[in-house]
Amino acid sequence: MPPLPVITGLGFITSIGHDRSTVLRSLRELRHGFEAVEFFGNPSLPVKVAGTVKGFAFPSPNWRDWHWPAQFEVDRELLRGLAPHGVYAVCAMQQALADAGLTPADLAGGATGLFCASAGSPYLLGNFLDQMHATRGERGNPMGIVSSIAGTLNFNLAAHYKISGAVCGFVSACASSSHALGYAMDEIRLGRQSRMLVVGAEDLTAESIVSFSSLRALSGNPDPATASRPFDVKRDGFVGTGGAVVLVVEDAALARSRGAHLYAELTGWGQAGDGHSVAQSHPEGAGLREAMRRTLADARLNPADVDYVNAHATSTPAGDRSEALALQAVFTAAGAKPRISSTKALTGHGLSLAGAMEAAFCALAIDDGFIPGAAHLVEPDPVCAGLDLPRTSLNEAPRHALNNSSGFGGSNVCHLLRRPT
Amino acid sequence: MKTSTAPLPGTASDREEILRHLPEVARAAFHRFKSGGDPAALDPVVFAILADFIPSDSAVPLAELPGNTRLIDDLGFDSLAITEVVFFTEDLFGITITNEEIIRVRSLDDLRDFIRGKVAAPAQH
Repeated sequence: MPPLPVITGLGFITSIGHDRSTVLRSLRELRHGFEAVEFFGNPSLPVKVAGTVKGFAFPSPNWRDWHWPAQFEVDRELLRGLAPHGVYAVCAMQQALADAGLTPADLAGGATGLFCASAGSPYLLGNFLDQMHATRGERGNPMGIVSSIAGTLNFNLAAHYKISGAVCGFVSACASSSHALGYAMDEIRLGRQSRMLVVGAEDLTAESIVSFSSLRALSGNPDPATASRPFDVKRDGFVGTGGAVVLVVEDAALARSRGAHLYAELTGWGQAGDGHSVAQSHPEGAGLREAMRRTLADARLNPADVDYVNAHATSTPAGDRSEALALQAVFTAAGAKPRISSTKALTGHGLSLAGAMEAAFCALAIDDGFIPGAAHLVEPDPVCAGLDLPRTSLNEAPRHALNNSSGFGGSNVCHLLRRPT
Repeated sequence: MKTSTAPLPGTASDREEILRHLPEVARAAFHRFKSGGDPAALDPVVFAILADFIPSDSAVPLAELPGNTRLIDDLGFDSLAITEVVFFTEDLFGITITNEEIIRVRSLDDLRDFIRGKVAAPAQH
C-alpha cells in the first residue's frame, strides 16, 4: 500500500474567521463574511460587496504602512518581500503549524515540501511597474519582483521556513490551490516527501477583484446578505474575497507515530480539462464531470459513497449551471444523492485560495461531524433539479466528502476526503 | 475598501513621502542638510535609513556602533537589503549610485563618507 496522505494541521485567514473555531462556527451557523466596500474610492463601480479580511490593512504598497491582528507576528525580514496575501499566509502558517503540533525546526531536513498557489499581487506589481515607467527603468523596488509575481508565496515561505524538500507554485487560476493539494498528495503517495505544506492565498485589493468586473463575472448586488447565492435562480455573479489557508499534509504513518490529530484522510484526486473556452466553463461541465469521475476512481469509490460535495459554484449564472449538470451526470444518473453546498455563499470566491480553503472546510466538516448548508439559497435554479441542497447546516457526519474546483481555461480539479479510520 | 498608490520617484510629493517613515530626528536633520548644506546633518539620516532596512534589528543603536562595523558581516545586511538602501538613498538625495561604488562600501564609515561625498557633488548622472 502506498503512503496515505492525511491532514494534520489547518490555518485560516478568511472572511469568515481567522482561527479554526470561528471558521467552524461560521460554517455551522451560516454566518457570512461580506461587507460593503468601495473600491478605488469610486461609488460608481457596480461592485459593492466583498468578503473582507478583517483586522488587516494594506493602505499603501509600502509594508511599513501595513497592519495585521496583534495575535500574529510577521518578521520584518520576511515582511519586506511579501505581498498582502503573503502576510495572510504567514499568519495562517503560524496557526497551521501550531495546530499540527509542529515547530519551524520540524520542517528542516528535506522531508517537508511546500506547494503554494496565488495569482501574485496585481496591487504590488502594478505599483512596481508604475515606478519603472515613471523613471524609464532607472528605479525599482529591489523586492518588487519577489513580492509581486505569481510564486511570491513559495519564494518567501520556502526561504523563511528553510524548506529543503519539494517547493513549487501552481497557477491554474481558481483551481490553483486544488492543484497544489492534489500534487502534494502525490508527493506523499509516491514516497517523495513525508510532509507537505499546502498554501492557497490571494490579495483582497481593488486590483485583484475589480479586474473581474471587466469579465462581467462579479455580482452587482449591493446586499451583503444575498450577493453571493450559488445555485439560486437570482444569482448574478461572484463576490470576491482574499485571505490564506494552510493545510499540513502528512504520511499517515508519520502522523500517527507522533500522535498528531487527523482531521481527514486524502483518498483521491483527479483533474480534467474542458478543452472548451479560455474563460467560460463548458456548458455541460464536461471537464468537471470527468474530474469527479477520475477522483472517484482514484479513491476506488462509487458515487453513492459520497456524503457531501463542496461545490465550486461561485454564484455566476453560467458556472453554477455547468456544475449542476456535471453533478447530475455523475451522481443523479448513478442514483446517488449526496448533500451539496457551496461555501462561497459565506466566504465569497477566493480565486487561487478557493480550493485549499474549501478542502480545509471539508476537513472541518468531517472532523466536527456536520455538513455546511447552502447559505442564501432561496429559489434553486431549475437546472439543479434532483440535487440535494440543504438550506441549513446539518448535524450529519460525512464519511466521504468531495471538493470541486474549476479555473480559467477549463481546468477542473477534485479531491476526496475521508473520515479517519 | 480603498487602496492608494505610492507617489512615484521624481514627483513633487515623492521626497516627503519617502521621508515619512523615518523618525522625526532624521526628517529634521534631512531638512537641515537641504537648507544649510551641513554635512554633519547627514549622519542621522544615514543611520535612520540603515535602521529602516536592516533585516534584523540591531541590539545596539547604529549611531553608537564603531565606524568600522561592517554592514554584511556584523549587521546582517544581505545584498537585497543593501540594494534597498541604495535605491532609497538615490531617491531621497536625487543621486545615482553605481554597482561599482556600492561594492566598495563595506562599513558604517564607508557609507557615511560615501554619501557625504556623493551628495556634495550630485551632478554625476
